[in-house]
Amino acid sequence: MTDWRLGIDIGGTFTDVIAVSTAGAMRRSAKVPSQPQQPVRAIVDAIAAVDLTWDRVAEIVHGTTIVTNDIVEHRYRPCALIATAGFSDTIEIGRGSRRHLYRMDLLPRPPALVPRHLRFEVAERVAHDGSVMTELTDAEIARVVDAVAASGADTVAVCLLHSFRNAEHEARLGAALRTRIANVSLSHEVSPEFREFERMNTTVLNAMMMAKIKNHLGLIDAEKPDDSRLHLMHSASGMAAPALIAERPLMLAMSGPAAGVAAGCKTARDMGTRHAVTFDMGGTTTDICLIVDQKAEIAVNRDLGGQRIRMPMVAVDSIGAGGGSIARLVSGALVVGPESAGARPGPACYGTGGTEATVSDADMILGYLNPERTLGGSVTLSMELAEAAIRSLAESMGFTIPNAAAGIARVVHANMARALRRASIERGVDIRQFEMIAFGGAGPMHAVEVARLCGIARITVPAFSSGFSALGCVDATMSYSRQFSVGMKSTAWRDEYLARLVAAQTDALTAALVEAGHAANSLLVDCVAGIRYSGQSYETSIADPVLADRDALGAQFDAAHTALYGYSTGEAWELASLRIEVSAPKGETESATPDAIESSIAPIAQRHVTFESGAGAMVDVLDRARLPVGHVFSGPLIVEDSWSTTVLPPQDRLRADASGNLHIEVTL
Amino acid sequence: MNLDPVSLEVIRNALTAIAEEMSMVVMRAARSPLLREAGDHSSALTDATGHLVAQGQDVPVHLGVMSFTVREFLKRIPAESLQPGDVWIVNLPEVGGNHLPDVKLIRPIFADGMLYAFSVSLAHWADVGGAMPGSYFAGARDAWQEGLRIPPTRLVVANQMDVEKLGLILANVRGPEERRGDILAQIAATTVAARRLNDLTVKHGVAWMRLAFDAIHDRAERQMREAIRAIPNGVYTGEDWMDDDGHGGAPVPIRVTITIENETATFDFSNSADAVPGPINTTPFIAGAAAFYAMKALYGPDIQPSGGCYRPLTVVTRPGSIADAGNTRPVVGGNHETCQRFADAIFHALVPIAAEKLSAGGPTTAGLLIFGTRTPNGDWSTFYEVHSGGEGARIDRDGVAATRVHLANVMNTPAEVIEAEYPITVEFQRLREGSGGAGKHTGGEGVARGYRMRADDVSLTTMFERAVVPPYGLEGGAPGALFRATLKRATGTEEALRGKQNIQIGKMDLVVVESCGGGGYGRAPTGA
Repeated sequence: MTDWRLGIDIGGTFTDVIAVSTAGAMRRSAKVPSQPQQPVRAIVDAIAAVDLTWDRVAEIVHGTTIVTNDIVEHRYRPCALIATAGFSDTIEIGRGSRRHLYRMDLLPRPPALVPRHLRFEVAERVAHDGSVMTELTDAEIARVVDAVAASGADTVAVCLLHSFRNAEHEARLGAALRTRIANVSLSHEVSPEFREFERMNTTVLNAMMMAKIKNHLGLIDAEKPDDSRLHLMHSASGMAAPALIAERPLMLAMSGPAAGVAAGCKTARDMGTRHAVTFDMGGTTTDICLIVDQKAEIAVNRDLGGQRIRMPMVAVDSIGAGGGSIARLVSGALVVGPESAGARPGPACYGTGGTEATVSDADMILGYLNPERTLGGSVTLSMELAEAAIRSLAESMGFTIPNAAAGIARVVHANMARALRRASIERGVDIRQFEMIAFGGAGPMHAVEVARLCGIARITVPAFSSGFSALGCVDATMSYSRQFSVGMKSTAWRDEYLARLVAAQTDALTAALVEAGHAANSLLVDCVAGIRYSGQSYETSIADPVLADRDALGAQFDAAHTALYGYSTGEAWELASLRIEVSAPKGETESATPDAIESSIAPIAQRHVTFESGAGAMVDVLDRARLPVGHVFSGPLIVEDSWSTTVLPPQDRLRADASGNLHIEVTL
Repeated sequence: MNLDPVSLEVIRNALTAIAEEMSMVVMRAARSPLLREAGDHSSALTDATGHLVAQGQDVPVHLGVMSFTVREFLKRIPAESLQPGDVWIVNLPEVGGNHLPDVKLIRPIFADGMLYAFSVSLAHWADVGGAMPGSYFAGARDAWQEGLRIPPTRLVVANQMDVEKLGLILANVRGPEERRGDILAQIAATTVAARRLNDLTVKHGVAWMRLAFDAIHDRAERQMREAIRAIPNGVYTGEDWMDDDGHGGAPVPIRVTITIENETATFDFSNSADAVPGPINTTPFIAGAAAFYAMKALYGPDIQPSGGCYRPLTVVTRPGSIADAGNTRPVVGGNHETCQRFADAIFHALVPIAAEKLSAGGPTTAGLLIFGTRTPNGDWSTFYEVHSGGEGARIDRDGVAATRVHLANVMNTPAEVIEAEYPITVEFQRLREGSGGAGKHTGGEGVARGYRMRADDVSLTTMFERAVVPPYGLEGGAPGALFRATLKRATGTEEALRGKQNIQIGKMDLVVVESCGGGGYGRAPTGA
C-alpha cells in the first residue's frame, strides 16, 4: 500500500529523510551518509532508514546539491553557443568589470563558460521593440545547425538579442536544433529578461547541467515503481516535475537551501509568525533568508561559484562564516573568516589535523559544544586541541583563553548581524520586526546573540532543526514561477496588451500544474511587479500589483518607493518586469506530535559555560526530547539533542511547545 | 587607552555596514545611468576632523577623493558653523575633489550638540552643465567651460531642502529631473548614515566612538607601515606618458620619484609635466588616490581605507604642474585618465624590485564615449559608456580579455539596454583578435564595438588614452595594440577619432571602438 510521503534532502555529507504517513498521523526521520558518486544510493538508503520499502512510497520530494556543487566546483560539460551575428564573444566580455579590486594576481573573472571554437553566430536581428530587422532564413538555420552538429557538441545554448521581446527566431532555431542535438537550451525559455550577458550565461549554465540531470532522473526512474511519484525541490522553494527539471536543471541551483527556507515558511505559518528570517549556520557558511508575510523572499540575480545566474531563487545570502571559519589577529584586529578549515583539516578540536583557531574551537572552550558528543559517531572532540589552537591568539591579545574564545564569538556575531542588516536593507524591511528561525548544526548555538545585535526579540528553534531541509521537502507543494521583462511606460500604457501578456504567462504555468494532476480552479496565482522611474535600473518590488488600474498601480509604486528611500517624485514610471507564480494550495497537514517521552526538567549534566560577556558559570544541560511542554526556563541553559545544541544566555528565556519547537525570548 | 582587538573588529564591521547601506541607497534610488548600471559612486564616514573611518564598496579612484573631501571642506567652512540637520553640497575639484561631475553631499553628525562625524555620498552625475551634454568638453581651455561649479553650499537646512538653491543647481544642468533624483538619493544616503551612527552612539557614548575612530586610524597606519616595510629602502623613479591634452600637443610625461625609508614612503610627482591647456589636468587628491591604490594592490590588499593609512605616506605635487593644476584649468579627464597614468608611473618605478608582482600595461583609460541624444520632447539624454580592454600579462599567466583594471571598475552597458533607451543600435561587440602584446605570456585582448546612430543631431564626445602611447610590455614582452576609434559616416567617408574630441554625428553614422590590448610579459619564445 503506497501510503507514505518522503522528503529527502541529499546534502554534501548527510542525507536527511523525513517520512509522513499520508494520513498525517505518523512521522519518521533519519540521517544517512550521502554517496557523492551515487546520489541515487542515498535515496534507497534513506527509504530503508525509515523502515519503509518502495511499495509503501506514494511520493518522494527530493532536494539535491548536484547542480549547486557542479557550479561551485566548476564541473562544466562542454557546450556550444549560438548568438546573434556579432555577439558570440559576449559570453567572454561579460560586463567588463573585475571581481577583486586590489588583487592583480587573481583572474579578474572566471574563464568564459564557452571556449571560442564552440561559439557560433547566426545572421538575424530583432530590434528592442520586437520588430525584425534581419529575417532569420531557413537556409541560415540549416547552415548553423550543421555547423554545431559538425563540432561534435551534444549540448547547445541559444541566446539571440531581444529574444525575450520576440522569441520567434530563437524558437525556430531551437526546433531545428532539437532534431539533431540532445540538449538544447533557449534563452527566452530559461530567462526571458533583458540584459544579454546575464541571459546568455544563465542559458549556457542550464544547458551544461542537462545531461547529468537527465541521467540522474533516469536512474531514479529505473529504481522506483511507476506508482511512486517523484518531485524535485527547485530554487524558488516549490516542487517541480521531473519532466520540467530535465529541461531546466538550473532550477535546482539552490535546491538545498530552498528546502530549508520552505521549512522555515512552514514554521512561520504554523507559529502564525508574519515575518521571519532563517538562520542556518553550518561548517563553512551561514545561510540567511527573509520570509515576508510568510513567503520566502525571491531574488532573480545571483552569483554562484563566480557565475551569474538569473532565475527566480530563494533570496538566500551566504555569509562566509561557520563553525570552520578561522580566527586570526590581523594588524591588531581579531578577524574571523572568510578562510575556513572546512572538513579537512577541519577545526582543531576535531583532531583531524587542523591547528588554526576556528569558531568551533571557540564553541568548545565556551562550553557550547558537548565534549562527549560525537556527531553521529564521526568525530571525537578534543578540548586540549581546541585550547592549543586558541592559546597563541589569546596570548597575543593579552586575553585569557576563554576571553579570546568569547571574542571570536563576538566577532562572528557582529559579522552575521551586518549580513542580516544588509539583507533586510536590500529588501527594504526593518529586521527588528522579524523573528528568527535558527537551524543547522551551529545555528541554535549562536542565534541568540546575533538576534540581540539585530534587535530581534523572538527565536524559534524548530523541531527536526538538524534535518530541517528534509522537512521543507516533505511539506512542499508544486509551484512554478516565471520572471519576464515587460517594459511598459506609464505614459504609453496598454491595458489590453498587458492583460494578454499576463494571461498567456499564467496559462502556461497553470497548464504545467494541471498536467501534473492539479485542478485548475484550486491553484493560487501570485504576482510581483518590478517598477522603476524611467532612468532607474533597480526596480522596486510591488507585491499584489493592481495591474488592471494604472493609476492605482502608480500609487502602489509611489508608496513603496517612499517606504524604501524616503521619497517619491510622482513622475512617469515603467513597469519593467513581472514575476508570476502559480502554486498548488498547501495541504493543512497537522504537525505530528512526536512520540511521548516522559518529560523532565532535571538536567542530564552540568558544564562550565562562558557567555559573550566573558562571564562564566556552571550551567544545566537539558535533554531536548524531555523538555516539558510550556514550562518557561530562564537562562543560562544548554539544551541538547543528538545533532544540535541550543545555547541560552543568562538573561533570556526558553520554552518548548507540543510539536517539539523551542521558543526563545531574547532580552534586548 | 587602546581598543581591544575584538571591539575594534566589531565596531569596524558596524561602521562599514553603515557605509554599505549608504551605497545601496544611492545605487538603487539614483537616476544617472552611471550610478545604476555602472556603480560610479562611493560612500564614506569620517571623524569630526574629516578623516575617513569607513567606506562602502567603492571605485578605488574615489578613495583619494573621499579621504580629503571633508578635510578640505573644513578648511573653508569652520566646524563651529555646522548645524545638525544640515546637508552640504560641493563639487569644486579643489575642495578635496577630482572633477565637476563627481558631486558630494556631506552631512555633519552630532551627539549631545557635539559634532563627531560626517557622512559623505559621492556620485558621478550624468550631467553637470557646461559646454557639452555629459559635461565632458574635450576642447575646454578653462575650468568654467566644464560645468556648474558648486562651492560648499548648505542645500538642506534643518532637514528642509532649500528649494531656491536646488532650483539654481537644476537650472544649470541637463536632465534636471534625473539630477533631482540623484540629489534626493544622495541626501537619503547621508540621512540613513546619521540615523545608524546615532544608534551606535547611543549604545556606546560619543567618547567611546571617538576612541574607536582613533583605533581604526591607528590600525590602518600600522597596516600601511607593515606594507611599506616590505619594500627595500631606496629611491625609485618611473615615467609614463599621456597621449595628449586634446589640443594637438605631444605626449605629456607623468613622472614619479618614490622614496622608501623604513616605514615611510614619499611619492613625488613634481617632475611631471606642467599643467596643460586641455582637460587632463588634475588635483593632488587624485595623485594620492593612485599612490594609495598601488600600495594596497602590491603590498597590502587588506589595508583598510582610513585616515590613518595616509600617515606614513607623503604625496608631493608641484603647484602649476599637471598633478596640481590650480583652480582655473580644465580637469574632467584627469579623474580617470591621468589618474591611471600616475599608477602606471608608480608601477614602472617598481619594476626593478617588484616585477614578479606587476602586470604589464593594461587598459588604463576609461575608453569613454558620450553620446548626447535628443529625447522626443527635445531634452538631452546622455549615454555615457566606458570600454574595457586587455589586461596586461603577468609572470605566471596571460592577460585576460575585456576587463577594467586598477583605479577603475565601472561596468559596460548591455546592448539591449542601449537600444531600448537611446536611438543607437549596437551592431557588434566582439573581442579584438590579436590585440594582446606578444610575450612569454600574452596580453589580453581588447574589445571592438560598433554603434550605429538611428537619429540625427547626436553630440559625440571622446575621452580615451593609449591611442598614441601603447600599454607597455614587461620584462621583454611586446606592447598591446593601440586604442582606436573610427567614425564611418553614412556618406561613406571614414575618419579616425582623436582621444579628446567633440563632434556632431547623424543618422546611420557608425562609430567603431577598438580598445587597447594588454602588454605581454617576458620575451616570446622564438623560432617555434
